[in-house]
Amino acid sequence: MTTTLAAGPSTRRRRISTITWRVLTYVALALIMAPAAWLLISVLAHAVPHWQWNVLWTTLTPSGGGLRDQILGTLILMLGVFIVAGSIGVLAGIHLAELARPRKRSGKASGGPLRTASDILAGFPSIVLGYVGYTALVVGLHWGFSLLPAVIILSIMVIPYIAKTTETALRQVPTGYREGAEALGMSMGYGLRKVVLKSALPGIVTGLLLALAIACGETAPLIYTAGFSPTLPHSLTHAQFPYLTYVVFQYYNAPETQYHYLAFDAALILVVIVLLLLVASRIIVSRTQRHSESARGTLRQRRPRPAGPPEPDLTLPRR
Amino acid sequence: MKPLMRAARLRRGAIVTAVAGLALSSVVIGTAASASIKLPGSGVETPSGGTVTETGSTLLYPLFNLWAGAYNTKFSSTTIQTAGTGSGTGISEAENGTIDIGASDAYLSPSVVSANPDLKNIPVAISAQMVAYNIPGVLSHLKLSGKVLSEIYQGQITKWNASQITSANPGVTLPATPIVTLHRSDSSGDTFLFTQYLSKADPSGWGAKIGFNTTVPWPAAPGALGETGNSGMVSGCKATPGCIAYIGISYLTQTLQAGLAYAALGNTKGQFVVPTQASIAAEAAGFVKKTPANGTISLIYGNIDNGYPIVNYEYAIVSDNQSSSSTAKNVRSVLEWAISPKYGNSTSYLSQVNFQPLPSKVEAQSVKQILGIK
Amino acid sequence: MTAVGGVAGRLPATPQAESIGKPPLPKRAAAFFRNNEEHAWRWSARVAVVLPLAALVFAVTVLALKAWPAIRVNGWYFLYGRNWTEGSGYGAVVHTDGVAHPMGSQYGALAILWGTLASSLIAIVIALPLSIGAAFALTERLPGWISRPLGLAIEILAGIPSVVIGLWGILTFGPWLAHNVYPIIADHAPNVPVLRYFRNPVGGGEGLLSAGIVLSLMIVPIITSTTRDLFLQVPPLPKEGASALGMTDWEVANKVTLPWVRSGIIGATVLGLGRALGETIAIVMIGGAALRIPINIYQPFTTVAATILTQLDGAFTDGTGFAVATLAELALVLAVISVGVNLAARVIITRTNRIGAPVGGA
Repeated sequence: MTTTLAAGPSTRRRRISTITWRVLTYVALALIMAPAAWLLISVLAHAVPHWQWNVLWTTLTPSGGGLRDQILGTLILMLGVFIVAGSIGVLAGIHLAELARPRKRSGKASGGPLRTASDILAGFPSIVLGYVGYTALVVGLHWGFSLLPAVIILSIMVIPYIAKTTETALRQVPTGYREGAEALGMSMGYGLRKVVLKSALPGIVTGLLLALAIACGETAPLIYTAGFSPTLPHSLTHAQFPYLTYVVFQYYNAPETQYHYLAFDAALILVVIVLLLLVASRIIVSRTQRHSESARGTLRQRRPRPAGPPEPDLTLPRR
Repeated sequence: MKPLMRAARLRRGAIVTAVAGLALSSVVIGTAASASIKLPGSGVETPSGGTVTETGSTLLYPLFNLWAGAYNTKFSSTTIQTAGTGSGTGISEAENGTIDIGASDAYLSPSVVSANPDLKNIPVAISAQMVAYNIPGVLSHLKLSGKVLSEIYQGQITKWNASQITSANPGVTLPATPIVTLHRSDSSGDTFLFTQYLSKADPSGWGAKIGFNTTVPWPAAPGALGETGNSGMVSGCKATPGCIAYIGISYLTQTLQAGLAYAALGNTKGQFVVPTQASIAAEAAGFVKKTPANGTISLIYGNIDNGYPIVNYEYAIVSDNQSSSSTAKNVRSVLEWAISPKYGNSTSYLSQVNFQPLPSKVEAQSVKQILGIK
Repeated sequence: MTAVGGVAGRLPATPQAESIGKPPLPKRAAAFFRNNEEHAWRWSARVAVVLPLAALVFAVTVLALKAWPAIRVNGWYFLYGRNWTEGSGYGAVVHTDGVAHPMGSQYGALAILWGTLASSLIAIVIALPLSIGAAFALTERLPGWISRPLGLAIEILAGIPSVVIGLWGILTFGPWLAHNVYPIIADHAPNVPVLRYFRNPVGGGEGLLSAGIVLSLMIVPIITSTTRDLFLQVPPLPKEGASALGMTDWEVANKVTLPWVRSGIIGATVLGLGRALGETIAIVMIGGAALRIPINIYQPFTTVAATILTQLDGAFTDGTGFAVATLAELALVLAVISVGVNLAARVIITRTNRIGAPVGGA
């Protein structure tokens, strides 16, 4: 918007301040993007030169080997978290969105001790939960370092996120759906299953994928609940469990040079897993947005984002 | 027979039978218990099969890794899982029962022993510790006494060309590089050994103010860095010109490859000794007679001619009370294999990490301790 | 027996009614599930939603029970003392207030608490302006075909495990900073009160500033993404009106957009702060593990989370259990700080929300 007024000193000052402001915002963006890109490139640059595909299917040996059991271990941990935290978190979200008695203050339900506790747990330090897991489960219940305490502690960490995303997804289901279901005579459970949950499913699934991304990247609580192992054990307790993040943490400094390469390989694999989860959740969102009824027949360009599952947001605060 | 007499005879008979039965059963149980552990001719029991978990000392870790591979070749039913996490972790996890064998350079403290009467430390090898440094242009063995090291780590000597160092090393040109002290940030047996040396060599200084332990409150030396594990010490020292670090002898190859040199340390007789097979063995030999049955003894700063001052037994920290007899058998088998001069304690393994084998008297004591694991 | 289909005796008993008896099992099972389904949902959902609270209470209880002996003996010194030592672990055991501990043990966590607060503060100071600036660039300046992939890139950054960021920090970024950036700052920092801490020596990259920068990189995605969403929700009318009045971009941002989203930004910042307070692995790798307050901003330090992680497994070498109890006390303090920060954020947000919408109202 060029001004046609006489360019006096204050106009010049304001023009300079505008240009400075614009430049600063770009600089800020660059200062964030550059290290992020550098990080990813660095991981690639260290992992790719020594990459061997058999890292994916060889077991760890004292002098080198591969990461097969560590990858499987991370995936099994994610599966355990999916089952345990997924079911509990989704149920909790259903409660917060559908079943809780309506708050006296209408609008955003921001109060309630249960939701507060959930938010507090979301920001709770992971090492403290790891310590509690070690004291109560590993040593206290004599389970030893193993899969079961690890899944329990990771699930506790992740349940608040699943509950929050489930609640958001459920709130975005138009009340018309629920009213229609009730009008058709569906029982509460039937309506919940067949109508409400079905339409909120993409949002719930993206929440679950985010929780899995968080869980696969954890290290501190796993050190004190799962321990570490070169191979996959056969029991839920009393046997230490392998996972990838420990490899990154400890092996870059190990005496065996082969282990240095494994550390970067593990870092690369972790980044790939997180990328896959993120891409999967984006695909789910865009698929359902394309089919959602509010997206149909709208102008592509200027319309604000149509109602649909919430954007997958790994930036949900944690720790 | 009169009823009273019959009753009395019956009572007598019953008592006799009961006592005989008790005596017999106790003999049977007794022989069963003590006869359960008999070493075969090779000196190594066959394991029950499964996994034996070991963690702890990074100083012992390279050797335990070699042992793990060779043991599994001999007994394919049993695998040993090793990890190098620090002696403190080895002791802690053995205490808590989350690991089968804890490895530690440090023997158990009295408080741990009284809290865990079943826990014991079993010597499995003899190792040593060197003091390495990264001084540009200096690749020879500097003569460093315990007192000088104590002052360096207390921050009282801050440059490599300080008079205390140059006076002991007349032929070496030392630059004015500031000294950066490296210490272990994890609970470490190497810290235990090094601080024990400093305490014994400088009792009024380091010994009185700081003492020895697996973790100590390190004094504020300028730029002091904490590293994790022996390999962290090596890589940290390599990256920091002017650094000084205490590193286990099993990392000698890596230390030299990193371009670091190591010192000739001062012993009680005022001699400056380089860690060699001979000097380590001499130091250890001087303590064989004094080593008690439970293996708890420090081999540091002994009054031995040409003995290297920082030498120690590597301990396996094990509980006498294992969760099952098969676990106990596995653990016993691994340890018996490790200390046998035919297998684990043979030079083919020990020379790769610059360790020394156990003297036969100590080995016999270790065997006795191992047989107590049930 | 009540007649099927109505009040007993009213309707004629049909031949089927008499021969029906009880319905077959599958039908009864289906009916059972149908009738009780709502019950099942309600109750299982109730149990599920209580679990986070139960887990929190459980965690704090375990911590408090474990820490109690240490709290009694350490006292207030824990918060202001600088000596952190196990004492003579191989020496005598003494008793204070009935609690056994090694002689000479003294646990003052001032340096550790300072490290946590200092690193988080540095992270926020760096992350906040960068995030707001980047969010502005993404929403106001750049066209969608650039800002959407960049937004995705920021989310990828959020998902990268902290151990990977720590690895990059210790091997690449830290040394680069120490060789290229810190010397420039250190050589030109004047000897005045605050800037004094930016002077030499520079160290090798493991230290407070490196850790703070890496931490800021971890919390930037949280703040940027939330701020970006908030900016998208600011109604266009007040902004366009301000522009029409002749305000420049900067003035519109400063006077219209930012006040609108202030409480949201505060909320996001505090949540980022929560993450920085609890971050463990990256600090362990980059912080350098020195149990003292660093003399300048480049020197090694430690935080509560890093101390617990590195010291817990060795703490059992103190056979009296006192070292473990002290670490439990440390964990309890961190938990209390984290909960306190969280609750404070909620209070601030609800309070600023009640102030009422600025210019224009919506």
